[in-house]
Amino acid sequence: MDTSNPAAFVNAELLRMYVGRRVRAVIQVLRNDGGSIFGKSTDEQELVVKGHPPNPPTTFVEVIGIADSNRSIQAEIWTNFGDNFDVSSYNTICQLANGDFKHLFI
Amino acid sequence: MYGNNEFDGSAAFSGGGFMPSQATQTADPSFSPAKNREAQGLLPLTVKQIREAFQASDDKANILIDGVSVNNVKLVGLLFEKTERVTDVSFALDDGTGRIDCHRWVQEAVDTKEMELLSNGTYVKVHGHLKGFQGKKQLIVYSVRCVTDYNEIPNHFAECMYVHCYNTRTQKMQDAPQVTGQMPNPAVNTPSKGCQPTSSNYFSVQHNVDAIRGIDKLVLNYMQQPSCIGKENGVHRVELAKQLNVPEHKILEAIASLESEGLVYSTVDEFHYKSTANG
Repeated sequence: MDTSNPAAFVNAELLRMYVGRRVRAVIQVLRNDGGSIFGKSTDEQELVVKGHPPNPPTTFVEVIGIADSNRSIQAEIWTNFGDNFDVSSYNTICQLANGDFKHLFI
Repeated sequence: MYGNNEFDGSAAFSGGGFMPSQATQTADPSFSPAKNREAQGLLPLTVKQIREAFQASDDKANILIDGVSVNNVKLVGLLFEKTERVTDVSFALDDGTGRIDCHRWVQEAVDTKEMELLSNGTYVKVHGHLKGFQGKKQLIVYSVRCVTDYNEIPNHFAECMYVHCYNTRTQKMQDAPQVTGQMPNPAVNTPSKGCQPTSSNYFSVQHNVDAIRGIDKLVLNYMQQPSCIGKENGVHRVELAKQLNVPEHKILEAIASLESEGLVYSTVDEFHYKSTANG
């Protein structure tokens, strides 16, 4: 069992706290140029995700990777999350998992 | 009597506070059957919670999380390192909080089929039995299903938080009565441990009180009423005499004997007395 390299649940607001560390986020894809995706975070701010997006990406994709900066993630794992996804509950999970329940996650 | 209380408590805790493994073992036969039944369901967990769980002994399935003994668990995460063998399939499950080794025995065609569908890097929902094996925790999996509705992922983690809240709250409620007036032991965090001193105190109080008869008993009962316990200075002996309709010198005798038993004590002066219960 290994918990040395967890991926924190983030939205754009929380991303800034994890620059240089592993994060997971769900992005609504707005534009895909093959090498990176421009999309909206679960708290409705614009983010850039670099790497090799799935072809074709669904409306929502989950990325796990390293937080590059306040506004970008270098993705390692991409998962298509389909076209129907409840963004607001995911966003609430991000907040809880970094708040009162942080000890259950990272 | 109060001294006794503390003694009982510390005796019951002496192993528990510092050696969690002993405490869980000793507490097990008396308390866990009831608790077990409650924990029979599927406990949604994160790998981080499993990693931090205590384990009583190496091979027994005696793992405690939030004071509840853990048998069957539900995890949701990415499947990696899938290795198929003749009798079993092993893989690692990464839920973002950590990775855990999983084994699935394949006996029937259904099992094989279910496992064939899964490839590395897919999201799965796993139900299994958590087990300590050679010092490591691993999951003996009963079912591995692909996640098809990705809302299941935030939903699973919401469940983990809810169940954590539920179990820690029930446990706080069980711990509360014995923690007041006892030692503030930070290790008192499982209901099984908490239960023992509570019951032993209860019996010791019962035992002492049973030996008290007549006026002594009347006086003690009066002083143990919540309204009297709530008074900071306790009860005046004139009040006792009036309320119980007993001559004052009899009250005095009763108080003297109760005081020697350690059941009451004088407060601001020799006229005011208070019960040691909850004092």
